[in-house]
Amino acid sequence: MILRTEGLTKRFGGLTAVDDVDFALDSSECCAVIGPNGAGKTTLFNLLTGTLQPTSGSISLMRDGAWTDITGASPEQVASFGVHRSFQLTSVFAASTVLENVRIAEQAAGANAHNCWRNVGAFEEHVEAAHTILERVGLAGQATEPAATLSHGEKRALEIAIALAGNPDVLLLDEPNAGVSSESIDDIIGLIEDVASDHAVVLIEHNMEIVMSVSDRVVVLNQGQVIANDEPAAVRGDETVQQAYLGGYERGDLDIGGEPA
Amino acid sequence: MFRRWVVISNAGSGSRIEFDSETRAAIATRSRAYARDHLVHLLVLGALAIYPAVYHVLTNGGDATGMVALLPRVETMVAVLYFGLFAMSFDFISGYTGYLSFGHAAFYGTGAYFVVLVANGKVPLLAPETPFVCLLVLAGVLAAVLALGIGAFSFRLTGVYFAMITLGFAQVLYVFMRDWEYLGANPRDGIAVTGLADGFRIGVPGVDSLSVAIGQLAGEPIDLFGSTLGASTVSYYAVGMVVVICYLAMQRIIHSPFGRVMIAIRENEARARAIGYNTFYYKLGTFSISAFFAGVAGGLFAGFRRSVTPENGYYFLVTGDALLASIIGGFGTLAGPLYGRLFDEGLREFLSKSGSGGGLLVFLRDSLGQPAMETALIGGMTVGELVETFLNGHAPLYVGIVFVLFVLYVPNGMVGTVRNRLGGSCAKQLPAWLSDRLTAIVAAIRERVSAVRHRR
Repeated sequence: MILRTEGLTKRFGGLTAVDDVDFALDSSECCAVIGPNGAGKTTLFNLLTGTLQPTSGSISLMRDGAWTDITGASPEQVASFGVHRSFQLTSVFAASTVLENVRIAEQAAGANAHNCWRNVGAFEEHVEAAHTILERVGLAGQATEPAATLSHGEKRALEIAIALAGNPDVLLLDEPNAGVSSESIDDIIGLIEDVASDHAVVLIEHNMEIVMSVSDRVVVLNQGQVIANDEPAAVRGDETVQQAYLGGYERGDLDIGGEPA
Repeated sequence: MFRRWVVISNAGSGSRIEFDSETRAAIATRSRAYARDHLVHLLVLGALAIYPAVYHVLTNGGDATGMVALLPRVETMVAVLYFGLFAMSFDFISGYTGYLSFGHAAFYGTGAYFVVLVANGKVPLLAPETPFVCLLVLAGVLAAVLALGIGAFSFRLTGVYFAMITLGFAQVLYVFMRDWEYLGANPRDGIAVTGLADGFRIGVPGVDSLSVAIGQLAGEPIDLFGSTLGASTVSYYAVGMVVVICYLAMQRIIHSPFGRVMIAIRENEARARAIGYNTFYYKLGTFSISAFFAGVAGGLFAGFRRSVTPENGYYFLVTGDALLASIIGGFGTLAGPLYGRLFDEGLREFLSKSGSGGGLLVFLRDSLGQPAMETALIGGMTVGELVETFLNGHAPLYVGIVFVLFVLYVPNGMVGTVRNRLGGSCAKQLPAWLSDRLTAIVAAIRERVSAVRHRR
């Protein structure tokens, strides 16, 4: 195991967005987090990465063979601990080139980020690492273009590339497929599987095709609570999960309205 | 890359270092690339260096009234340089990290007051005779420390609130310096250098032969290669040297890993944090560095003018002028604000009557002649009165109109627009662009020549 939460809870006023979540991630696992809109998936990510502070509960990370409590750590600390995330809404450095987007993230993990007297060109290792990552996500051809000019699908790939830089232990991918046309689903599946081969991955995804094909385990959130936590096939058949997604309607419920008055 | 060398020791002649051929080739490639990257810098430096001579020649010719009206005086150019440095330091934080430092005058004023106060013996532990170059560095350090204090509070905020709180700090200092009796007899009217008769010297500290005095009156002319450089020209070169050094230092920082983090913060601060940068410290560092250079600029200003008032040191419109220069020259380009200030000052001088270097008003008065000036136009108004009405003392109005036009139609400023047109930074792209044009012209001429030959 590499990451775990105990009783993780986040309240916004009267709304409990994340409710007493016990979550554990194995170090070689790809775990999908699914749930209807507003289930608390992104809030869970924001808690894990320090963007939000939990109301109660704790988050621990396995570092150098020992559990470290990272509850209350800031986003930059969490990132430096080796937990990187991608964003649901594309969040890149728009005016910088594709290469610079990844290079700057690579530099963050290195020891020279504070250097203010040598030219960036002197730190070739960051550039080389960035090129390797761009090749991996299939953006090598666009390295010199400004990130703003990429297509939406390419920006989603860049989003993952930035998270990959610095070789994190845990990758949190927030809907890498958001807004991508259904034709390119295979590309995304390929990319996630590739990334999952050498990182522990937590994946938020709405597309069931992706979830079923890439994940080793599926956690279902509903109204902030974990309602299922099992292998993909088992979760698919779970009654409570269907209930959550269909909002409590039984098969045939809708016919009642259709009866002649 | 250059670590590979061979040390050849000869028992008789000591040791010397030689590079192997591969390293030598690498050095040659590097230095060629370096020269190419800095070609534009050299061209600009060259242009600035010959400006006083060009001004002298053009304004002393036969019919030079037009040139006198058009070209900024060398005194004006000194002001362009030190204020340009302040505008660059403003752009260093505002244009590169996106945090509008609207109270930047606090650092400029601090640098200026510091220099004058030391010269008047009002700063403990520092003798009035402290070398000016040391004062400049100390003024910068003082401003940088002040920035750490202001920034520690201000960087809790972002966007317009950051601009407002820095403005607040600067205005508090403005009011404070206006009423602090310790500074001088009448602090509201500012303070002047009274404790020191000689001009402030820029150069090697303590060595008179390797330094020159600056100032309009306190500066001294220098005989060089058989010609005399006036006090303004000497100040121009001396101040210019400091400004160039500061520019190169800021340039260096912007192209360093630290500088790239500054740009990342501007582009997307949330993401910069998410990839592991503690943006608070980077912002504070940038703010402090920019304040250092603002302090140096203020020191140069006070050193040249030998006086400073709360209005031209600490007042928020001083920052406004830096913002104006940055917008016109190119926000987020380091050299842009200098050109922006040159444009601003040049236009002001061209349009104002007071510019003793002449200006449009004087030019029209001189060249139109008395009969034309007295021709009556609509409603009994003569041409002369019309010129007077529209041009006398209205320079800020026209500068304001130009500012509006720039924001509307040239939002990237002068340097930013050129940069976009070239598809990269001017230093990197301009040489290639120039050589392309040259090759094209040469090819066109060749074609013409061969066509003419064919016809024969």
